[in-house]
Amino acid sequence: MKSILLTILFATVSTAPLFAQTQIQTTIDPTKASTIIRIAVPRPETTLTLEAINSPFFAPLTRDLAYSGVFAIAPIPPNIPASADLAKAANAQLVLKLTMAMDEQDFVVDARVIDTTGALQFGQRYRGTAAALPQMAHKMANDLVRTFNGKPGIFQSDLAFASNRTGAFEIWLMDWDGANQRQISRHKGLSILPSFSADSDRLVYTSFVRGTSDMYVINRRGGGRIRIPSNLGLNTSATFSPISNDIAFVGSLHGNPDIYLIGDDGSNLRRLTTTSSIESTPEWSPNGRQLSFTSGRSGTPQIYQMDAEGTNVRRISFEGDWNDDATWSPDGEQMAYTSRVNGRFQIRIANPSTGASRVVAGEGSNEQPTWSPDGKWIGFQSDRSGKWQIYRMREDGTELLQLTFDGENKDPDWSKKGDDSQPKTPPTPR
Amino acid sequence: MSKASKAFLGSLLVAAIILVPACRSKKTPAPKTVPTTVSSTPPPDVNMTVPTTTVATATQDFVQETTTPRVTTENLPADVEELNRMVQTRGYIQDAFFGYDEAAISADAQAALSSSATWLKKNGQYNVLIEGHCDERGTEQYNLALGDRRANTVKDFLATLGVDSSRMRTVSYGEERPFDAGHAEASWAKNRRAHLVLVGK
Repeated sequence: MKSILLTILFATVSTAPLFAQTQIQTTIDPTKASTIIRIAVPRPETTLTLEAINSPFFAPLTRDLAYSGVFAIAPIPPNIPASADLAKAANAQLVLKLTMAMDEQDFVVDARVIDTTGALQFGQRYRGTAAALPQMAHKMANDLVRTFNGKPGIFQSDLAFASNRTGAFEIWLMDWDGANQRQISRHKGLSILPSFSADSDRLVYTSFVRGTSDMYVINRRGGGRIRIPSNLGLNTSATFSPISNDIAFVGSLHGNPDIYLIGDDGSNLRRLTTTSSIESTPEWSPNGRQLSFTSGRSGTPQIYQMDAEGTNVRRISFEGDWNDDATWSPDGEQMAYTSRVNGRFQIRIANPSTGASRVVAGEGSNEQPTWSPDGKWIGFQSDRSGKWQIYRMREDGTELLQLTFDGENKDPDWSKKGDDSQPKTPPTPR
Repeated sequence: MSKASKAFLGSLLVAAIILVPACRSKKTPAPKTVPTTVSSTPPPDVNMTVPTTTVATATQDFVQETTTPRVTTENLPADVEELNRMVQTRGYIQDAFFGYDEAAISADAQAALSSSATWLKKNGQYNVLIEGHCDERGTEQYNLALGDRRANTVKDFLATLGVDSSRMRTVSYGEERPFDAGHAEASWAKNRRAHLVLVGK
């Protein structure tokens, strides 16, 4: 119903002259970025085969645009070349005209966006090897979102997770759409609970490979692995500060798990909680000034917040008898956490300042929520298929998508950065 | 030669003397390495009788004669995994089980750990790893912390029973390594435990 209304609205408005251009100029203003722009995206003009370009490039590009919340993909009438005429015929405001060719080993993609008057609204060339085609698609989608919406996209973000598809659980990464799943850690021993650094270039996680549980830091390409010695037990739920080199984690001294901080070089250990109850699962607020955590001090595991110095502790969750895995939305306004409802775990989204909360219910047990960099999506793990797998949904619970299928997969953590405006490796925009 | 080795040889001798008459009464002499066959597939009848006799004798030794050095060291397999299966099967080492979301030592757990402490004190050549485990009905991260508390509670309890703390190490696996993959209380109850694992010195 909604889409029909939008179609009518745009069809009516687009008869007014100069609308498209005016509309584009206003949508560049981030404060007025709520309107969805209809864009026609015909297949690239190319002599390359459809197989070579569709699944690695064109499909992820159109999926990203369709999921962007900025664009709606307009159905394309046949036999009209990518032009202002096509935009009009498709009731679209914009046409994305793609031209693809090979230059030695590289794919070169020329992307132009024209409006209904034929004016050029966007022009960018992308270049990269066959292996880089999906990254070129995600980069292009981000550039389009940033150009027409003013905000960074999330299509270059990753999810880190633990997978046992090769035997023991190891740390893996995948693109935001579930593609490009690659193994990062190679301990050949239980390794779990990865968490991205603020720049999303490093991960901290826990491995049992030495027979104890220890914290490790590794870069996103699987290199530079170091162990962070704390001289405490557990070393679980480790998470990088968004503003400093500190890592918050659960350390245990004589069987008393508490929240600690340690520098990412293993120096400067500090204890933040001092109760005799179990404390676990620290998570930083986006500004780095507060931490949420789970505590059993009330008799059941509940969510608390404190200042980053360990002071000013207050309870956040009051529903149910088991809450854990709290994580802050990127704007710091909301918390998502795992909450037991009617005997099963569900994702709860709460606003601590108002006390309001809602449950995003699903089949099976649903745990360990993690926010996308723009706060519009939530990654989580569910056992609804009979095995732990990682899923993605909008924060209102719609558009559910299963991302993993091989082995068991858990502990998702969404990278903090979704739009790499200066990629270090191909594709290189020209 | 170290004191421990002497004691080991001594106990071998004593045990051999005791075992000889027992063996003579059987049709087949018992090999000393019998326990290796016990813990894998069920052994044939001929061998069956011997380890059973040995077990009974050994258990009585522990319970009744705390002063005798006649520990069944000679029957302990050199392979650590084999050894762990044996001491668990025979009840020399017993795990502690817990209530849901609890780390307190129940009366049953106290009895189990008392047996374990008795054996550990008599077999000082082994260290023990105490693994904390939880059932799947909690969340992974909190359960890791809960498992740590269970393991350490058991470590403290064993220490009060006289097991040297320097011989004990703890690790929590939370719900990562369930003993029973089922999804009902019978399975969950088995998975809420502190699991004692002998490790080499």
